Amino acid sequence: MSEKKQQVSRRQFLNYTLTGVGGFMAAGMLTPMIRMAVDPVLQPKKSGDLVAVVEVDKLTTEPQRFDWEIDQVDAWYESKVTKTAWVFIQEDDSILALSPICTHLGCTVSWEGNEEYPNQYYCPCHGGRYYKNGVNVPGLPPPAPLAVYDQDVKDGTLYLGKAISRKGA
Amino acid sequence: MHKGKGMKFVGDSRIKADRQPNIPKDYSEYPGRTEAFWPNFLLKEWLVGAVFLVGFLVMTLAEPAPLEKMADPTDTTYIPLPDWYFLFLYQFLKYEFAGGNYVLIGAIVAPGLAFGALLLAPFLDKGSQRRPVKRPITTGIMLLAITSVIWLTYESVAEVDWETRTEQNKPVLQPEVEIDKESDGYAVFNKSCVSCHGDNLQGGVGPTLIGVDYSVEEIKKIAVEGTGDMPSGQFKGSDEELQQLAEFIVSVNEQADE
Amino acid sequence: MMQKIYDWVDERMDITPLWRDIADHEVPEHVNPAHHFSAFVYCFGGLTFFVTVIQILSGMFLTMYYVPDIENAWKSVYYLQSEVASGQIVRGMHHWGASVVIVMLFLHTLRVFFQGAYKKPRELNWIVGVLLFFVMLGLGFTGYLLPWDNKAYFATQVGLQIAETTPFIGDSVKILLSGDADIVGAQTLTRFFAIHVFFLPAALFGLMAVHFIMIRKQGISGPL
Repeated sequence: MSEKKQQVSRRQFLNYTLTGVGGFMAAGMLTPMIRMAVDPVLQPKKSGDLVAVVEVDKLTTEPQRFDWEIDQVDAWYESKVTKTAWVFIQEDDSILALSPICTHLGCTVSWEGNEEYPNQYYCPCHGGRYYKNGVNVPGLPPPAPLAVYDQDVKDGTLYLGKAISRKGA
Repeated sequence: MHKGKGMKFVGDSRIKADRQPNIPKDYSEYPGRTEAFWPNFLLKEWLVGAVFLVGFLVMTLAEPAPLEKMADPTDTTYIPLPDWYFLFLYQFLKYEFAGGNYVLIGAIVAPGLAFGALLLAPFLDKGSQRRPVKRPITTGIMLLAITSVIWLTYESVAEVDWETRTEQNKPVLQPEVEIDKESDGYAVFNKSCVSCHGDNLQGGVGPTLIGVDYSVEEIKKIAVEGTGDMPSGQFKGSDEELQQLAEFIVSVNEQADE
Repeated sequence: MMQKIYDWVDERMDITPLWRDIADHEVPEHVNPAHHFSAFVYCFGGLTFFVTVIQILSGMFLTMYYVPDIENAWKSVYYLQSEVASGQIVRGMHHWGASVVIVMLFLHTLRVFFQGAYKKPRELNWIVGVLLFFVMLGLGFTGYLLPWDNKAYFATQVGLQIAETTPFIGDSVKILLSGDADIVGAQTLTRFFAIHVFFLPAALFGLMAVHFIMIRKQGISGPL
């Protein structure tokens, strides 16, 4: 700012006040509307309930496909949605439940889905492949390993929850 | 200002090349007490607007927008009511010479004439006088019209029992209950109550019985003696059946509360 | 910086004369409440426009949650009211705004009427104004149905019956509005929705533009 004394003319003063009042009116009108519009963004992420999927003694070291249904509440619309997982017992006896959604463009992968690639998950859309533990084979389209379901074992039954992305892991 | 030959344009457009300076008119150029629209007058308007907005928002916060039960085309007891600004027309149609056989007059001719006259007012009132007192016929007709609209609206509003209306039409998400139609209690219900309260207790002439907060004893009393609009003596049967009925209704409501 | 952008646009659009015309036009003393308090009656038109702006904005935001379908319309409104933060307020603004706009429009019309401001040369603007009034009533009537609650449903049924009494074309008008000869239902709701958010607002914008341009051309009517 210059050292000169800044004179605020009558017109400038009115212009500032006008902007202020206009801003107040715009804010008064728009605040509730924008708050309503961004509400979904501000909702806490739901962890999702764990659902019983299969008895543990049915699992093998070979990935098997399991389907189960969950109740999905989409605002005012409630529906049943089928979820799928490839589940197997790892070498350290822990259970791994992988989401079949390809991390490339969201197609569905399947275990040994292509005869040329045994012991791998294969995505038919762009030929993406994953190793048994869900890690993507390098040099192919998928950018990240398959997501892993949140899991819990109670009374010999496997419970699965939400798929957790391993992007950047 | 340039005109005709020698005018320069921006490129091949018709936009003039020499720019006009963007300088506001000096205040001394306004005669008498006239004002510049921007910013002088607009500021005053916006101040009024801001006060108005605050009042409007306070009203909005104080009184949430009403929402009644989801539309049920089978609800034969519902008395339709338009929004308040159509009430005068709605009331008008109740009168003998505007409704019934004369509905054409009430619904089309009279409003058509009134709104047609409003639309064509400049051609019906052609004199050069502007003061209301100097054109008594125009003013008189308008005053009469306003008075009758206000009066009709008032009449219409006075006929409605607003409190029970809102009470009866509160929005409820019907709790989902499974009704055991094989039970003894339902058999008794089917005999005495089903005609008014519906085969799924959903209500009809009478209110729904799902979501009521009564004990077994209270229900027994109501079934025999009635309550509100429900007359006494609706229940016909033995004391044992009465007990079964009351327990059945309570069990359904316990299920609904879950 | 701002000046540069302005000059750049001005060179291409020549907006200065337009802007100066709007900003510098003279507002006469007799409409200025600062000089005569009774001049507040001239505010009704502006306030009508203000509420209309509120209606347009809140309506735009409401359609983010609303579905015009008889299965889901009511549920989506209920969800908006009870689950979404400030959903209650925005729906309230649209609901009460609809009433306030009618009140303001009424007062504005009466001001113009009793001042005889519709006389030569402003006859056309009066007609456009009355048409705007009809459009607003139409918006009120069609908007009333959208929440698909009992009062909406039954009031619309009555409204359609009134439309049916029109001689000769009544039947066709009713079917045109309700989409079905007998049922007030799925097709009625989608039609009313389309009329409420596309057809009538389009008419409203066109008429408002004409209304305002004529006011600038003819100026405000002189004092009585």
